[in-house]
Amino acid sequence: MSYKIAVIGDADTVTGFALAGVRHTHIHVSKEETLSKLKSFLMEKDMGLLLITHRTIDDLGEEFKLLMRAKGVLPVVLAIPDKTGYVPAVDELYELIKRAVGARVTEKVGGG
Amino acid sequence: MNSERWIERELAKLNAHLPMKRISLSEALKSKKPQVVGRNGSVHEFERDELELLASILPESEWDSLFLPILVSFDPKLGRGTAKITGEVEAKVVSQLLGKKCAGGELLVYLPEIASLRRKLPTVTQYFFMV
Amino acid sequence: MAAPMAISPTRMELIKLRRRISLAQRGHDLLTEKMDALIIEFFEVLKRVKQARTNALRQLSAAHRALSVCLAVVGTIETQQASREARREIQLDASTRYIMGIMTPALRIERVERTVLERGYSIHFTSSALDDAAREFEKTLELLVELAELEESARAIARELEKTKRRANALEYIIIPRLEATIKFITMRLGEMERENFSRLKRIKAMLEARI
Repeated sequence: MSYKIAVIGDADTVTGFALAGVRHTHIHVSKEETLSKLKSFLMEKDMGLLLITHRTIDDLGEEFKLLMRAKGVLPVVLAIPDKTGYVPAVDELYELIKRAVGARVTEKVGGG
Repeated sequence: MNSERWIERELAKLNAHLPMKRISLSEALKSKKPQVVGRNGSVHEFERDELELLASILPESEWDSLFLPILVSFDPKLGRGTAKITGEVEAKVVSQLLGKKCAGGELLVYLPEIASLRRKLPTVTQYFFMV
Repeated sequence: MAAPMAISPTRMELIKLRRRISLAQRGHDLLTEKMDALIIEFFEVLKRVKQARTNALRQLSAAHRALSVCLAVVGTIETQQASREARREIQLDASTRYIMGIMTPALRIERVERTVLERGYSIHFTSSALDDAAREFEKTLELLVELAELEESARAIARELEKTKRRANALEYIIIPRLEATIKFITMRLGEMERENFSRLKRIKAMLEARI
């Protein structure tokens, strides 16, 4: 079955992925608008992947985390850097490892 | 307090992903989409690269007697972190992949070896828990 | 020390409790083995996440570089307009896969890289800078799809690991000690009752003997 891809972020990120053929886009300006767009993307039955910049996620705050906890396997939501390469200091995946395996892990997942 | 019910449910869940029927390597190689169906209805596909790796290790005369997925069986009786590869041909293939001596029809493997086996054969091996 | 459960101290209950404790013990042992297997799977996925992240992020910054060139050469408005005109939508092939009974996503892009024609911009916008940017973002998308699948799988395995750990701990620190305490309590009560019975019998015997 075919699924759609969506992207939320700054104008450059959105333009770039739109050039690649991503048709469902939203340029993040205000928190309220982006949240409501995000909710509608998450609710679409045939949405498979949602790309969203780390900076947008930072702006959305706690509400973003709540939405992530409530969603199912699809769409997969992937956080990406914008053109400045910005990633938050705390890696969400690293936090996950700490919770799941505890002190057994010392190595950072890294990459970003 | 009734702990029995959830323990039993947990134990039943341990093997829910296992196939109802395994297929031989020769069947898998012949199939266009080599796969097995799990007890919970999930479809599990085998990667062709892995099938070809197995075929390169094993003489063709034994392709009918290797059944997939190869089961990595955990049994608390063996002690923590130890699993068993059952089946003569299965044990033989795995022992060759791990560079390990295989005595008789079964093979014991330990956590680091299990990790290495899972890395080499992620789709044609599956965990089995002796409940 | 765990508090014993409110159960009547009979031999029958004792037998039942011993059966329960052996089930709980076996459950605990198997969940521990499951945790070991999950940890193997988790680290395997993490290793791939790490590799996929490095690749995807490197490609993403290359794509952004190509886009800045395009914005400078073609112009911002024109580039944005061209991006809206891209005719063919990129589609995703999504299904689910099970790793040890855990549902994880399997994502694949239905062929990303397109020819200039398939990209479908109006011909007067066609420029090699525009085409470069589009191609670089297409490549990025392909790598991001792979990364998304791996990150989500890692998350799903981590969730299962946490759940399994919680259950194994409940068995080890709450359920098994409580069953043990109850067994100890009943064994003691049964012993006491036996001693009471014994002394009662002795008294009866003495009484009977005194009567003779």
